Amino acid sequence: MKKVMYLEFERCIGCRSCQAACRECGGHDAKERNYVEYVDFMESRHTFPMLCMQCKDPACARVCPANAIQITEEGVVLSAMEEKCIGCRNCTFGCPFGIPKFDFEENKMYKCDMCYDRTQYGISPMCASVCPSDAIRFIDFDEMQALRRRRTQMNLIEGKKPTEQDKWQYVPEFFGVYSD
Amino acid sequence: MTDYLVKDGVKNLIHEGEKLITTHCCYCGMQCGMHIRLDEKTNKVVGVEPRYDWPVTLGKMCPKGVTAYQTIDHEERITKPLIKKNGQFVEATWDEALDLIEKNFKKLQKEHGKDALSVFGGVSMTNEKCYLVGKYARAVLGTRYVDYNGRFCMSSAAGGFMATLGTDRGSTLPWPELEHTDCFFMAGSNTAECHPTSIQWLWKARDKGAKMIVADPRETPTARIADVHLDLRPGTDDTLASGMLHLLIKEGYVDEAYVNERCNNYEELKQAVEHFTPEFTSEITGITIEKLVKAAHIFGRSPRSVVMFARGIEQQSKGVDNVRLYTSMALLRGQIGKFASGVATFTGQANGQGGREHGQKADALPGYRKISDPEAVKYVSSVWGIDPADMPKAGVSAYEMFDEIEEGRIRGMHVMCSNPAVSAPNLEHIWNGFRKLDFLVVSDFFMSETAEFADVILPVTSWAEDEGTTTNLEGRVIRIRKVKDPIGESKTDWQIMKVIAERMDKGHLFNYNNPREIFDEFRLASKGGKADYYGITYERIDNEDGVFWPCPSEDHPGTPTMFKEKFGTPDGKAILPIVDYRDSGEVPDEEFPLYLTTGRVVFHFLSGSQTRRTKFLMEQCPTPYAEMHPALASQYGLANGDKVTLTTRRSEMELDVRLTKAIREDTVFVPYHWGKELAINQLTNPALDPVSRMPEFKVCSVKMKKALNETK
Repeated sequence: MKKVMYLEFERCIGCRSCQAACRECGGHDAKERNYVEYVDFMESRHTFPMLCMQCKDPACARVCPANAIQITEEGVVLSAMEEKCIGCRNCTFGCPFGIPKFDFEENKMYKCDMCYDRTQYGISPMCASVCPSDAIRFIDFDEMQALRRRRTQMNLIEGKKPTEQDKWQYVPEFFGVYSD
Repeated sequence: MTDYLVKDGVKNLIHEGEKLITTHCCYCGMQCGMHIRLDEKTNKVVGVEPRYDWPVTLGKMCPKGVTAYQTIDHEERITKPLIKKNGQFVEATWDEALDLIEKNFKKLQKEHGKDALSVFGGVSMTNEKCYLVGKYARAVLGTRYVDYNGRFCMSSAAGGFMATLGTDRGSTLPWPELEHTDCFFMAGSNTAECHPTSIQWLWKARDKGAKMIVADPRETPTARIADVHLDLRPGTDDTLASGMLHLLIKEGYVDEAYVNERCNNYEELKQAVEHFTPEFTSEITGITIEKLVKAAHIFGRSPRSVVMFARGIEQQSKGVDNVRLYTSMALLRGQIGKFASGVATFTGQANGQGGREHGQKADALPGYRKISDPEAVKYVSSVWGIDPADMPKAGVSAYEMFDEIEEGRIRGMHVMCSNPAVSAPNLEHIWNGFRKLDFLVVSDFFMSETAEFADVILPVTSWAEDEGTTTNLEGRVIRIRKVKDPIGESKTDWQIMKVIAERMDKGHLFNYNNPREIFDEFRLASKGGKADYYGITYERIDNEDGVFWPCPSEDHPGTPTMFKEKFGTPDGKAILPIVDYRDSGEVPDEEFPLYLTTGRVVFHFLSGSQTRRTKFLMEQCPTPYAEMHPALASQYGLANGDKVTLTTRRSEMELDVRLTKAIREDTVFVPYHWGKELAINQLTNPALDPVSRMPEFKVCSVKMKKALNETK
């Protein structure tokens, strides 16, 4: 299996299905771990999904003094281990994407674990499964590469939205799960 | 944990100790496929799993769909019959409730005639139940007064399609074909919020280069991604459509061969749209000439196009004309009856399509037969086993029933699966009607705003506690499955109609033991009608991923694409409309200078009775708001979050201001999913379309001022 999470911000319709579905994932205790934001509601209705980037060298894990954030073989960055987490919230400050959140009632951190209970068997995470506009997809690495190439081509052909070419500078080159 | 349900090579996770039950969502007409997770030990619904193999939605769900299961075992479910005593509801036994109903129904009919009773149905019920509503009203109660909430939702599309194409099937093509379309012309449809799982098909097509034109006064999430956004003034859709027809004709985009062979009235239409020049159209609609011309060029040059519309154009006092004119765009381009092209309306409710074909309408009998047709009456009477002479005449539309209450002609009502105390226009009139009724029975599973007016509330099952069929927005008949046993003492609507029929001494007409028996009778009742379900069986639905009507015999493959050879009119030719410009029921003037329009948000469904009880959805959108352009707000000294008082000729209400540039500067938008003092339908105009009798929810004139009791 060699699948990655692929986001296409342009497609997001702001329905927050991904958030609702995230609450349905096993062990998420009805708390969502991904988010949808408005670019600027006063200007337009453009929204975008914000997911854990499953960084290769995750800041959240790096700043954790208790070594509570584990990374699986496939590269999935998990929520803090309950028995190790000391509740210092370094991870919430360290993440540049604002993904780890802190549950003050339970005194523990929670973050997107890419629906590890599903993805380890090749089943799409809940957010990507339900996303009605395919703004979030769980696809093969090669498919992702082809999509990105085609997207750029379409932009060139249509000659519109020139700022779209800039937006890729802000999105990591790729992110997702890899396994041999 | 690694247990799978595998179909067509697609894996679905089955959690330990659970089983998956395959069914469809209870909300909109998309009827997204889903699996409900049932805990086998406790017999409780615990969640939902996507159904990747359902060809229409491929596992996609909107936030309402994901959380739909949460209403099934909701703590606020009504589980026992309730009787109002001294203004308070008290629990009662079924026998007590039925005794009271029998006594009052018989008394009212004895004193005031059979038509003193009325039935108000709904189309979130299965086909089986919708079919029975018509039979219950006419054969059991013997009243002519039966209508349904689809009158507020689908009737203009139905009227427009009937008048133009001769048959009303909401979509002339199956949804997966949309992937191969070259151009979408969407009018008055915020698909992204109202039918989100359709968006995947639009994107699949757009990935191949398809264009999208959206006509809407707001830059909705749908309009935001359009190639051309036609930001028209509310209520000017007929002018826009006529302007587009004018341009298609003038620029030579008409498929002359198709029009000559398959349409009537072309020359007359040509003349009628002659004066809808881009200049005139631009003046009336407020859309720039450049955008109009660009839209016409894109639509006219596309080899395969689909015209799609929804409540935005239908919930108007000229809704039928709007539908007819937009449908004509597809006809002039020769698109109806071909692959990946045609015309479609998005049905709002779960069974918005099926529910309108089965005789719940004031003037219709099963199979889309007219009650004014003696042959139809004779046939349906024979299926029902009643004397044709006993078949009541046509009644009046949903809103007009409340006029009849006002006049004292209707004195009792049975409301099923509907919440008109929120969803009807000019609510003060509706509320007064409910107060005036001598006797009101409401069947519901939550305490809705309508139920609060009731004398007796009967607890019904939710969608997951009974089985049956619905017809989705494509015209595909699908199966809803029983997930678990009914909660408390609730009964399904068909069981309730059956027991009341027995009390009214008509039990022999309702001799059913299960939905399948009802479906078989309904198949027979629809046989030979326009909406012919005779060839559809439960087994076929399972084996073929749903069957499209019309399907006249069991060896008929069903009809995914409508009108391949001919239309449903007597001569098989479509009838192009001849419509001249007219104003909406209300246009802004000095006293009421702005447009008010209403609509949905993605987190709520219709009157909100279910979604307002769902935690996630309420967190996302807890209250209604008045959405307006910052430029308009600054004229009134309003800032984001201020309170504003909106006043129309009917009523006034206070709302929070929400500012966005994604709306016209002369228009205020308010979502409609809340009841009582938060119901925007207190303000909306009950002007009715002359043909469909659908009220004008989408346009009225309004004035606003900053609210005095500032509570920011």
